[in-house]
Amino acid sequence: MNPDATVGIVLVSHSAALAAGAADLASQVAGGPDGVAVIPAGGTDDGGLGTSAAKVTHAVKQADRGAGVLIIPDLGSAVLTVRALLADPDDLPGPVVLADAPFVEGVVAATVIAAAGADIEAVRGAAEEAWNARKL
Amino acid sequence: MPASCEQVITLDGDLHARPAGQLAVAAAKFAADVSLTVGDKTANAKSVLAVMGLGATTGQQVTASATGSDAEEAVAAVVAILADATKVGG
Repeated sequence: MNPDATVGIVLVSHSAALAAGAADLASQVAGGPDGVAVIPAGGTDDGGLGTSAAKVTHAVKQADRGAGVLIIPDLGSAVLTVRALLADPDDLPGPVVLADAPFVEGVVAATVIAAAGADIEAVRGAAEEAWNARKL
Repeated sequence: MPASCEQVITLDGDLHARPAGQLAVAAAKFAADVSLTVGDKTANAKSVLAVMGLGATTGQQVTASATGSDAEEAVAAVVAILADATKVGG
């Protein structure tokens, strides 16, 4: 583990556009694309709505900067796809952690705290605390 | 007893998502507990969602407070971001 590295984040969505848009928003709020790696893994391999284990594996490798990777899924089978990958993590750089977090608020909170240099557990904590954030 | 520091600033613009993120990244780098108060709402300055939830707008007074060894530096950093990022057109 590199102490100067930032935690990477992977967004797993059924929709490529949703994952890409949320990643873009989180990067912008946290200071721009030169900071934390926020990598979208949305849609199926043939471009439809659904999730792809191959896309998630590729995104985790892209997001890894040596401090671990947090994965935030959108709904249902996105969670199942990630869980199946994590059951056999030999192909993945470690540690890779799955967050139980709201998709948009979770990635924004996680990216901001990762940009400040927080470790993987603190980044997971920020994402999961996002359930408590009120908009009004 | 830990050091504490407080400063009030009047916003020149609304506190949008990007400056809120910039502020939370800066605050989270300090050891001190840092908070922002607007009216009757107080937020942990290290939580971007809490900062955005303040809904702070032009002309409102924001009180930045910190408690901890680097409280003074933390308040100075947060106030500088509030002053800069909420400038009209900024």
